[in-house]
Amino acid sequence: MNIDDETLMRWTDGELAPDAVARLEAAARTDSALAERMATARRLRAATQAAFLVQVDPRDRDLSRLIANGGHVRAAPLAGLKAWLSQALAPRQAPIWGGLAAAAFVAGVLIGPGLNSGSGIRVAEDGVLADRDLVKVLDRRLASEGADNAGRAVGLTFQDGEGRWCRTFQARDDGLAGLACRRSDGWTVQALAPLSSPTGEVRTASSDTPAAVLSAVDALIAGPSADAVTEARARDEGWR
Amino acid sequence: MDDFQTGLVELLPRLRRFARILRPHDADAQDLVQQTVERALASRRGFKTGTRLDSWTFTIMRRIAIDDGRARQRWGRVLTPEDEATARVPDAAQADEGLRADARLVRDAIHALPEDQKHAVALVLVEGLSYAEAAQVLGVPAGTLTSRLVRGRQTLMQTLAEQGVTG
Repeated sequence: MNIDDETLMRWTDGELAPDAVARLEAAARTDSALAERMATARRLRAATQAAFLVQVDPRDRDLSRLIANGGHVRAAPLAGLKAWLSQALAPRQAPIWGGLAAAAFVAGVLIGPGLNSGSGIRVAEDGVLADRDLVKVLDRRLASEGADNAGRAVGLTFQDGEGRWCRTFQARDDGLAGLACRRSDGWTVQALAPLSSPTGEVRTASSDTPAAVLSAVDALIAGPSADAVTEARARDEGWR
Repeated sequence: MDDFQTGLVELLPRLRRFARILRPHDADAQDLVQQTVERALASRRGFKTGTRLDSWTFTIMRRIAIDDGRARQRWGRVLTPEDEATARVPDAAQADEGLRADARLVRDAIHALPEDQKHAVALVLVEGLSYAEAAQVLGVPAGTLTSRLVRGRQTLMQTLAEQGVTG
């Protein structure tokens, strides 16, 4: 069967009529040279797609803001960025959510990998954590106490170079882990990343902190992390 | 945000990918995405609800790229060593990907195609548009699109076979 390049190409791209597809594929079963050409054509298409993967780019945040404002850059509450956030926080991407960079971008948006399921963490416009339950956990809970009934727990507690107290946390039911530091007006989110392994799996406190959160810790920590005594004392003093 | 805006936000990663094909330099690709978004917002009345937002936006991007390309040819372009470096590492995410040698060779081969063929390959092979949709984006008859695709593919296959990427 003499097949021209265009027919082969149409077959690869799904642009060939079904009966022509059937004829071509039948012919390939007895014509090894044709089968090889078809395989090569498929490989080219796959290689082309692999060369240009869709990637989340941090600059898309600014563009999302531009779009949300209808082309006018101004500070305005944002809604409907769920699609972008879902993608940005998809487990395979495991990005760091930089508090500073995103503060202007996230305005009272519910953040979480399962955004349609209603789970998520509420963050205010300036990056301050506005999730009452999680704030309570950060304010009061000690690492030794483990998780509350919604899987919220704290991990490391430490001070940054300015003496602010910072704590890593997990919100298992929301599928997120992060780092927040104490400021006068509350806990400011420094990093937020999806918990990568499926829910329900047995996890240990430290091993499941996403790499993005750990690197945020590395960037901020000054001195050793607090031991249990220091942690309890800092809590009792109101993280001052 | 309304449906149009939400659609545009959702489209951003694909717009960026298409831009990376049209413009190998990261900064140029970013400019192209930005200009496309701005123009799409400004001319949203021209978008008919119920038609494909991706094709419509790709059309805008391609027009900007062509106009921009002409301007560049007129004025010339100074290529600094830094540009060369960023061309190899278009963005951090791609660096993470490890810049697999094959993927880089394929990118280079696609970037080296003549503009017409490159655009056809980008829309059909990478973006997955149908021939009819791609022809519409490019503003050419279906026959022209298929001949550009055939030629683009032949060139790619030859280039990559020489480099041992695809058998």
